[in-house]
Amino acid sequence: MWADGDHRRVPGDKEPQQHSRPGHRGARTMLPLLLLLLPAARGTVVTVGPEPALTKDPQLEGVTTASTFVLDQPRCVFQNYSDAVIWLVVTNDKDAFYNNATPGTPETAFQNFPDKVSAYMTLNVTLPSYPCPRPAGDITVLRVGSETSCAKDMSRPTCNGPLPGPGPYWVKFLALNDSGPVAETSWSMPIMLRTAQPASNISTGSGYRDGMIAITTILSILFAILLAALLAMLVFCGSESCGSSTFSKAESVSVRRYNTHHVYDQPCARL
Amino acid sequence: MAKSDDCVHILQGLLVFGNVVIGMCGIALTAECIYVVANSHGLDPLLKVTENSDIYAAAWIGIFVGLALFVLSILGIIAVIKASRTLLLVYIILMLITFAFEMASCITAATQQESLAPEFLLKQMLNGYESSDAANNSGNEFTKTWDDLMRQNHCCGVKGPSDWQEYTSAFRDTHSDADYPWPRTCCVMNEEQHPLNLDGCKLGVPGYYKSNGCYDAISGPVKAYRGVAWFGFAILCWTFCVLLGTMFYWSGIED
Repeated sequence: MWADGDHRRVPGDKEPQQHSRPGHRGARTMLPLLLLLLPAARGTVVTVGPEPALTKDPQLEGVTTASTFVLDQPRCVFQNYSDAVIWLVVTNDKDAFYNNATPGTPETAFQNFPDKVSAYMTLNVTLPSYPCPRPAGDITVLRVGSETSCAKDMSRPTCNGPLPGPGPYWVKFLALNDSGPVAETSWSMPIMLRTAQPASNISTGSGYRDGMIAITTILSILFAILLAALLAMLVFCGSESCGSSTFSKAESVSVRRYNTHHVYDQPCARL
Repeated sequence: MAKSDDCVHILQGLLVFGNVVIGMCGIALTAECIYVVANSHGLDPLLKVTENSDIYAAAWIGIFVGLALFVLSILGIIAVIKASRTLLLVYIILMLITFAFEMASCITAATQQESLAPEFLLKQMLNGYESSDAANNSGNEFTKTWDDLMRQNHCCGVKGPSDWQEYTSAFRDTHSDADYPWPRTCCVMNEEQHPLNLDGCKLGVPGYYKSNGCYDAISGPVKAYRGVAWFGFAILCWTFCVLLGTMFYWSGIED
């Protein structure tokens, strides 16, 4: 369903020894290159294809995590180098890497990154692993940092181990064959990984507390006012109507009218 | 002459109107609280998680207060129309008692708001959720409750799987980021409770991991609960005015 470049298509670490001879640029036999249809390649490393980039399609939730990131596979990029092995170079200092580096040595071992070396090489595959064109609907990605089992295993220098920090990292693909590097992509844009904040940074909504304080204060005041009013009402207006002047005027006519609405005995005695 | 009659009539009219509103609001409050209590099954795992049961107290008080308000409003209308001092006094005192209860319910509901806030739940989850093997369901109670919540509601984390990426957590302390960007329970499972596609889940391919947060699943009852607090507050303010008016009326009439 999709090709996840986690799994190397070539058997492990015996591969790199083919490239143990350092490939010098320039004054070396160009026979393998001449066999290819690139007359411009005279021992210089050809820059091909688009630079590596983080996967944008489809949108992946885990495109960058704290220690991994996901690249698009370099499909249809190294078509002319069918006998080369395509490596991924990861570095935190792109100016310090030279293409003549040999994969599988301590100088490019994952386990020595970043303390002793500034770059490592991993995810080596041959061209058939990146068939061109890409089948529609397939998700073709490389997850850098997915192998946790070999992260501390010095016998696996080409381990695709989890990245040690948030970066920034630069990556490029490098095609190496018997005579050395033959093609590369340019360096990618700097890749920053996610950093996790401490959970204590989460502010647990002081807005709620303000609301609670407001409700409590206002309700308490209202309740106190009501109790005070009740007390005043009972004390001052206990058995006689204290607001009688409000509801009855001095005119006797209105008093009589008032009488019809209330049970009212001995009005004259009260007045 | 006619003026004081009008004053009385107006005051009576206002009080009757006020009581009618109180009665209707009482019924509405009862209905809302019944909704909260009835829909609490959605909140249940979350409440187990937050170990908070006071939330129901406010809702239950609200039900009874709402009914009491309705009954008292009828009593109030009768008392105002008959202008009986005794009835009005009984009404006022009973209303004050109901006011006190509704105040308690309101304040409790407002206090509980904080523990239902997403930030609070997030913090709790990050601190408490630990390892849990999806297959054999091990781990502590809190973790099991969250796993149940995530499985039942097909959700992950509080706001989403990125909760595990954005913040440090107890889970992150024991599980490497490369192998477990988020817990396995966040993966879409097959019938045997195994991730449908582990790589897809780790990458975050849509369809192989649960992308929505669990807070959405419970936001309905939470909003209703918030309504209990604020609607109760509004009713109390209105009741305050009606009660003041009734006291003024009481002091004005003669028995």
